[in-house]
Amino acid sequence: MNPLRKYPKKLFWRLYYVCLVVSLILDVYWLYNHTFHYHFSFQYVVQFFALFGLFGCMLLILIAKGMGFFIVVDEDYYQKRSGGSN
Amino acid sequence: MNCWIHPGLVICLGGFLIPFIPWKRVKQVYFLALPLVGLGILVSTTMGVFGTIPPWPAALHKWNVPFLEYTLDVVRINKMSMLFGYVYVVAAFCMNIYALGVKNDWEHVAAMIYVGSALGAIFAGDLFTLFFSLEMMSWAPFFLLLFRGTQRAKGAAIRYVIWHHISGLCILAGILMHVHQTGSIEFTHMPWGWGGKYLAYNLMLLGFVINSATTPFHSWLSDSYSEATPSGSVYMTAYTTKTAIFCLLITFSGVPLLMWMGAIQAVFALFLAVLENDGRRLCSYHIISQIGYMVAGVGMGTEMGLNGAASHALCHIIYNALLYMGAGCALVVVGTAKFNRLGGLYRYMPIAFWLYMVGGFSISGFPLFNGFISKAMTIEAAELIQRPIIYLLLEGATVGTFLHTGLKLPWNIWLQGRDEPPDDIRKKLKDSPFNTPTHMLAGMGILAFLCIFLGVYPKILYDMLPYPVEYVPFTITRVFSITQMFIFSFLGFWLLRKLVRGYPSFVLDTDWVFRILGGKAMDFCKGPLLAFGTALDQRVEDMSGQFIRKIKDPKIEMHLTPLAIGFGVLVSLILFSTFLILNM
Repeated sequence: MNPLRKYPKKLFWRLYYVCLVVSLILDVYWLYNHTFHYHFSFQYVVQFFALFGLFGCMLLILIAKGMGFFIVVDEDYYQKRSGGSN
Repeated sequence: MNCWIHPGLVICLGGFLIPFIPWKRVKQVYFLALPLVGLGILVSTTMGVFGTIPPWPAALHKWNVPFLEYTLDVVRINKMSMLFGYVYVVAAFCMNIYALGVKNDWEHVAAMIYVGSALGAIFAGDLFTLFFSLEMMSWAPFFLLLFRGTQRAKGAAIRYVIWHHISGLCILAGILMHVHQTGSIEFTHMPWGWGGKYLAYNLMLLGFVINSATTPFHSWLSDSYSEATPSGSVYMTAYTTKTAIFCLLITFSGVPLLMWMGAIQAVFALFLAVLENDGRRLCSYHIISQIGYMVAGVGMGTEMGLNGAASHALCHIIYNALLYMGAGCALVVVGTAKFNRLGGLYRYMPIAFWLYMVGGFSISGFPLFNGFISKAMTIEAAELIQRPIIYLLLEGATVGTFLHTGLKLPWNIWLQGRDEPPDDIRKKLKDSPFNTPTHMLAGMGILAFLCIFLGVYPKILYDMLPYPVEYVPFTITRVFSITQMFIFSFLGFWLLRKLVRGYPSFVLDTDWVFRILGGKAMDFCKGPLLAFGTALDQRVEDMSGQFIRKIKDPKIEMHLTPLAIGFGVLVSLILFSTFLILNM
């Protein structure tokens, strides 16, 4: 098979796990070495950006799904209502 | 030297010749040459051929044209207009490459008028020239929508024009009131506040806010950009909203309302993007979200905020065109960009996928991609003015942006955990990794290169910004925090990936109010109001018929004639005397 067509799935997951673990360790290491220079005190909470990324992403999806009950309609919602004029 | 040639005029008028060139290759070369001529003019301007450009906010003024009792300042060249000018012509060149396969020459004409009028707006030094250019700009996309040829596109085109006429009228009313109050037509910073005294400025602000698709007036963007022709939508991503941002930068920087509107919009659009099933509509919501950063930067009004807004506008044009091109590839090759019908395209369009991913990483703000160097500036501007809520909103929007453009869209179009696309889509593809037309990949390639080049070497961009830049983007703090945030955002996405799968649906937006109420008003006019009018007409006709029949009776006519003459004379006397009294 043409190598272009092969999606590097395994390589991606290995790299991802390495980055995940390294980022957790580096955060603690640099935080206690006072390497970071943030502007707000809450940014100095241990693993703040990891938690912000994880829960921010999950909350965004879940809240949007909740909104979906009210604002998601059929594909031809407006067409049906306007008799197919747009 | 004074003989500066307006690149907008060259591109705009040059565009009209495209349909009359009979040879295909010559036509294509000419089409590509138009933005290059514009680029040449801008490069020679920077090199000082037409005079030295003074430091911001001072400017070189060319082409002063008398108009009524005013002198129009048709060309004003300063650092800000040069920054936007460069990105407009470079983006136009890449978009022209992408659009080389388009068979309808008039689509090219509309696109070139669009680009040319946008250049007209950013080089305008007076409000009348600005208004004229903005009006021209509002018509070109109308045709880019109509050329799609579908009923939905026609409806979207009409709604687009209505929105832009509302904004145009607001801007015109604001300009006229401002000129009446101050006597000045200069396109410069305007005062802002609440109350009748500031009505002119609030109208102007409203016009720019609509044009820049700021929430709650953003719905025209997702409605229209997703319905235009595949290459037309790529042009549309760049010019209207960024020109509006340019206008806001010039006129209303430092308005706190804009800071809040921008930050809220950056997050709000992402909620709608989660639910979206159409690739191009999803990208539209990301334009809206990214505009939020720029509007917030304008609203902060600090040097860092304004530099951040200007640089983000520049970077945004590049990566967003790339994203639209990526989603457009799927539309061109397999005829749809709906997530529920796609997935598994990676084996058939891998180069388009990786080029798209460069755009995805850029818009998310990954280090070493151009979004990082501009977005980080706006976010740091919020930190420097000690606005934690604005900071959290903008940082949260970064997470959401990565979720959608970096993960949801590529996952749904190219992957979805399967090796083959659905059967109906598979039939349209050759068994090869080269299904995407070469010219499309070339256009995407140049933009992808620019995304990485600016991300790795930001100095070239920072030197072009209006205010001197002391900002260093690659600090451990910033690089680490954003990388860790993305690593964990991916985890969040992976855990909930089934929830962001596409299914046949449509997401209602704020335009629901206008479209449903407008529809109801139309129904009322067509139904009860028309019936009432017809009945009233009939009744009046009947009564007048009866009246004429009666007064034609000789006995009645004899009595009525002197009365009618007397009444007529009396009314004339009253009107005449009133006129005399009022004029005394």
